[in-house]
Amino acid sequence: MLEVKELSCGYGNDTVVKNVSLSVRDGEILAITGPNGCGKTTLLRALCGIIPYKAGSALIDGKEIHSMSREELSMNAALLSQTGAGGEYSDFTVRETVALGRYAKNKGFGSDKTDEAAAEKYMKKTDTLSFADSVITELSGGQLQRVLLARAFAQEPKIIFLDEPANHLDLKRQIELIEMLKAWAADGKSVVGVFHDLNLAAELSDRIMVMNEGRTELLDSSENICRSEKLNKIYGFDIRAYMRKTLKKWE
Amino acid sequence: MGSVTVSPLHIFAAIKNAFFGVPLPSDVTEGEVSIIAGIRLPRVVLSFIVGAAFSVSGAAVQSVLRNPLASPFTLGTSSGASLGASLVIVTGFALFGSYSTAAGGAVFAVATMFIMVAFAKRLDRSLQSSTVVLTGMVLSLFISAWVSLMATFSDERYRQLIKWQNGSFAGRGFGYSAVLLAVFAVCFTVFMIKSKQLDLLTFGDEQAMSIGVNTSAAKTILLVLASVLSGTAVAFAGVIGFVDLIAPHITRKIFGPKHKLLLPMTALVGGAFMTICDVAARTLAVPNELPVGVITSLIGAPFFAAVFFKRRR
Repeated sequence: MLEVKELSCGYGNDTVVKNVSLSVRDGEILAITGPNGCGKTTLLRALCGIIPYKAGSALIDGKEIHSMSREELSMNAALLSQTGAGGEYSDFTVRETVALGRYAKNKGFGSDKTDEAAAEKYMKKTDTLSFADSVITELSGGQLQRVLLARAFAQEPKIIFLDEPANHLDLKRQIELIEMLKAWAADGKSVVGVFHDLNLAAELSDRIMVMNEGRTELLDSSENICRSEKLNKIYGFDIRAYMRKTLKKWE
Repeated sequence: MGSVTVSPLHIFAAIKNAFFGVPLPSDVTEGEVSIIAGIRLPRVVLSFIVGAAFSVSGAAVQSVLRNPLASPFTLGTSSGASLGASLVIVTGFALFGSYSTAAGGAVFAVATMFIMVAFAKRLDRSLQSSTVVLTGMVLSLFISAWVSLMATFSDERYRQLIKWQNGSFAGRGFGYSAVLLAVFAVCFTVFMIKSKQLDLLTFGDEQAMSIGVNTSAAKTILLVLASVLSGTAVAFAGVIGFVDLIAPHITRKIFGPKHKLLLPMTALVGGAFMTICDVAARTLAVPNELPVGVITSLIGAPFFAAVFFKRRR
C-alpha cells in the first residue's frame, strides 16, 4: 500500500508539487492527470526516489521511501519513464534488457536460472518473446515500450509507476497495455500512472487524481471524475462537450 | 621485430630461457638473449598492459558518461599526470629513483580525478554526464596551461618533458609491468564485479536508479578507478592518446554492450593495438625510434573524427 501525506517536491528552490496527499491500496490502479506542467511527472519521480521530497511523507507498506536503499526501493517500486532506450551504448537485446530488471535481486557477476525464467515469463506476458534476440535500439517505439514494461515487471515490485505509458502505442496496443496492467493489479499489485489521455485514464483506473498547479484538485472514482464539472474549469474548456462531439463521429 | 633482426626460433629460445631456464641452443648469441629478454620482451609486455589499461578505463568512462568521445584523458587524468611528471623533471626531485617521474605522474593523475569528481559533485550531486565532461575539460585545460608555463621556464629540460609526454616504452624493465599489472588486476576485478551497474548506467540515471543502482556512488567509484588505472598507465608510459577511444569502440561493435564480455575483450584489443603501434614506432624509422604516442595519434585522430562526424550525421 502507498500512502502519501502532504508531500511537496521540486527542483532546486522551485516547489513544483505542493502538499499532495493520496493513498493507493494493493491491487488498485490510480491514474494521475492534469494540464501540462501541473507536476504529475515530478510527483512520480519523487515517489520513485529519483528526486528528494522537501516536505511530507511517502510510505510503501508503512516504510518511508527515502529511508530505503536504492535496491530495496527498486524491489518495491518500478518506474516506466519516458526516457526510452537510453542511448547508443544501450544496444542490448530484448532478452538482456528484461533480465537487467532482476539487478536488485541478483547483483552478482552472472545471471541465474531464476532470472532467465523470470525474463522469459515477462517477455511472454508483454508479447515480446517473438523478438527476444533483437537489439532494442532498432525496435519501434511501441515494441520498445513493451520491452521496458517487461523489464519493470521483471523487478517484481509492489507498485509500478508509469509515465505516459501509452506513448508510441497504437490503439490496439493501448488496449493490450490496459489488459496487461489490469492483470498485474489483479495479482494484488498496485499501479500508478500519469496520463494525458483522459479516456485511457478512465478506462484503466479505479480512481483518478487530477492535479493543477502542483496541487490535488480532484481525487475520486473514474466515473465521478468524468462527470465532474470542475474538470472543465481545470482544463479551461468544456471537456465533456468535446468528448461527446468526437464520439458522434463514431456513431 | 626492431632495429636488430632476430629469427623467430631464437626469440622463442630466448623467452624459454628467460622464463623457464631452458638451456639456449648453441647458435643463439648472448647479444640476442639480451635484446629479447632484456629489452624487447619487457617492452612488449608493458605496452600490452598499458594498452589494456587505457582501453578498459576508456570503456568504463564512456559507459558511465554515455559518451563515445569521453575518456579519462578528456577528464583531466593525462593533464594531471603531465603536471606531476613535469614537476619531477623540472625540479629534479627524485625521491623514488628511476620511478620518480612515474610516481609523480600517478599521484597527480589520481589527485586530479579526485578534485574533478569533488568539484563536479558540488555543482551537481547526481554527477550528470555533461557536468562531469565540462568540469574535466576545464580542469584539464587549466592544468595544461601550468605545464606549458613550466616548460617555458625550463629550457634545458623541455626536451625531456616533451619526450615523456609523447609516450615511450623504451628502457622500462619488468618492474614497471609488475606494478601496472597489480593495479590493473585490482581495477579490472572491481569493474567486472560492477559490470551489471555499468550495463544499467548506459540507460541513463533515471532508469538505472529505478532498477536499483545508487548512481552517484557507482559513478564516483567507477570514475576514480578508471583514473587510477589510466593515471598509472600514463605515468609509466607517457601520454598516449586515442587507444582508450579506439579499442572500446571497435570492441562494442564486435562483441556488443554487455560489460561482462566487453571489458575483457577491450583489454585484449587495446593491448594488441598498443603492442602493434609500439612495434611500428620502433621499426618505421630505423635506426631512429618514433614516439608511440605519435603513431596512435596518427591512427586515432582520423578515427576520432570519423566517429564524431558519423554521430553528427
